[in-house]
Amino acid sequence: MKPGTKLKSAVCDTEVMVIRSGTGAIECGGSAMGEAKPDAVGTPAADFSAGTLMGKRYVDAAGSFELLCVKPGKGSLSVDGVALSPKDAKPLPASD
Amino acid sequence: MALALPLAGWAEAQLEAIRALAGTPALDGLSGVQLLGERAALNGFSIPGRRSAGGGCHLYDTIDGQVALTLARTDDRDLMPALFGDATIESDSDIVTAFATAQTNAIVTQGRQLGLAIAAIDEVPASPACRLRVTGGARPKRDRPPLVIDLSALWAGPLAGHLLGLAGAQVVKVESRNRSDRMREGDPMLFARLNQHKANVAIDLRDTEDRAALIALIRRADMVIAAARPRALAQLGIDADALVRDVPGLVWVTITGHGADGDAAHWIGFGDDCSVAGGLSAALREASGRIGFGGDACADPLTGLHAARQALAQWHKGTGAHLMLSMSAVVAEAIGWERARDAAGFTATLQRWTEAEGAPFPVVAARTTGPVAALGQDNGAWLC
Repeated sequence: MKPGTKLKSAVCDTEVMVIRSGTGAIECGGSAMGEAKPDAVGTPAADFSAGTLMGKRYVDAAGSFELLCVKPGKGSLSVDGVALSPKDAKPLPASD
Repeated sequence: MALALPLAGWAEAQLEAIRALAGTPALDGLSGVQLLGERAALNGFSIPGRRSAGGGCHLYDTIDGQVALTLARTDDRDLMPALFGDATIESDSDIVTAFATAQTNAIVTQGRQLGLAIAAIDEVPASPACRLRVTGGARPKRDRPPLVIDLSALWAGPLAGHLLGLAGAQVVKVESRNRSDRMREGDPMLFARLNQHKANVAIDLRDTEDRAALIALIRRADMVIAAARPRALAQLGIDADALVRDVPGLVWVTITGHGADGDAAHWIGFGDDCSVAGGLSAALREASGRIGFGGDACADPLTGLHAARQALAQWHKGTGAHLMLSMSAVVAEAIGWERARDAAGFTATLQRWTEAEGAPFPVVAARTTGPVAALGQDNGAWLC
C-alpha cells in the first residue's frame, strides 16, 4: 500500500491515511478497508468495535504499519485480524 | 531609514492596550519590537530568506506557488513519504524536488490531514483572529490578584501568561510530566524570559487524580491560557466550553494555529508557517519580488501579545468567556492594520527587510530575567 493512500472503513465512518505499510490486509471493524466506500455499509465485529479517535496514529507491534485516523468511527483497526494500538502523541518540538 | 521588524507597529499597539487596561509599572519598560525580536537577539539569528530565522521552517516552490513546511518535531520526517505519496522521499533535496512537482492546494490539504505544520503563501486565514465561542457568568468579587493558569508551551501562550503576570496576575504554569514544555531545554534563555516569576506545577494528565486536581485548580482561576487544539484537551477529559459555562467569570483563551472553524480546527501551526498562512510572505513578495520569511516566527509573539490583550479586556468586563485565537489570522490582522496606517511605509519596511537577508537582526533592548521555577516545584502550594 502506497504511503499517503486514504482508506475507508466498510463498516463505519472511519477513514485513515497510510503512513507506513508492510504486507497484510488493513481492516476496520474486522472488515478490509478500501479506497472506495462500499454501497452497503456493514456493522463492526464485536471484537473490533472500540472505535477510532481523530488524529490518533495506530501501529502494529512490529512497527511495519502506521495509520493516521483522519475521520473517526465506531470500528477499531487491525491488520490480518491482529489489533493495532494507538501511538503516544508526538513530543512538542524544543523550539519553533 | 533603519531596518525595522515588520509588524512592530501593531505589536506596540497591543502593548499600549495592555498597559491601558493594567496600569502596572512592570509593563513600562517593554516595547513591542523588543518582544518580536527577543528570541533572535538571544540566539544571534540572521534576517531569514527561504529558511526561517530559527531554521525549522522552509519555503518551497510548487508548480503554482510557494508552500511553507515546518519540520520541527523528530518524527515529522517520517511523514514525508505519506505527504508526497512516494516511499523513497527522505533527504532535504528529495523534499525540494517533490514539492516542485506538487500542486499547492493538494499538497497543503494532504499535509494538514497528516498533522503537519504546512501553509500556502497565498492562502487566506480560515478563522477570525479572535472568536468568542462561549460566554459565562459574572465573576464573584475576590480580594486577591487575578489567578492565571498557563497550560501552554513554547512561545505564544507562555508570552501571554508572562504579560498577564506583568499586568499584576499570579501565574501558575502547568506542565504535563509526559509532555513538558521542551523549550526549557531547547531555548533556556527565551524560556526564562517567558516563564520568569511563574509558579510551576507538573502533573500527569493521564492520571485521574492529577486531572481532578488540575480541574479543581482551574475552577479557582480567573484566566486560563491553553495552546492545545480543543480536541486534544477534550480527549484528556478537560472541556473548556463546559468549564466556562460552569465557573462564573472564568476567561479561557485557546491559542490555535488556524482557529476552530471547520477543518481548520484540526490543523496545527507554529510561528513561522502561521506567519506565512497569515499573508506576511505574500506581502514581502508583493513589496520586493523575493520569497522569504518576515521576522522570527512572528505569529508567536504577535499572538502572545494579542491573547494577553483579549484576556485582560474580557477579565475587565467581569464575565466569563472562551476566546479562540488563530495565529495565522492574528498575522493577517496585523498586516491589515499596518497597511491601513501607512501603506507606503509598510511596503518600504518590507523592502528593506528582504534586502537585508543574511544580516543580523535589528538590535532590541535587552531586559533582565527573574527567577524561573523548576518543573513541579510548586505542586504542594497549588494542588490539593
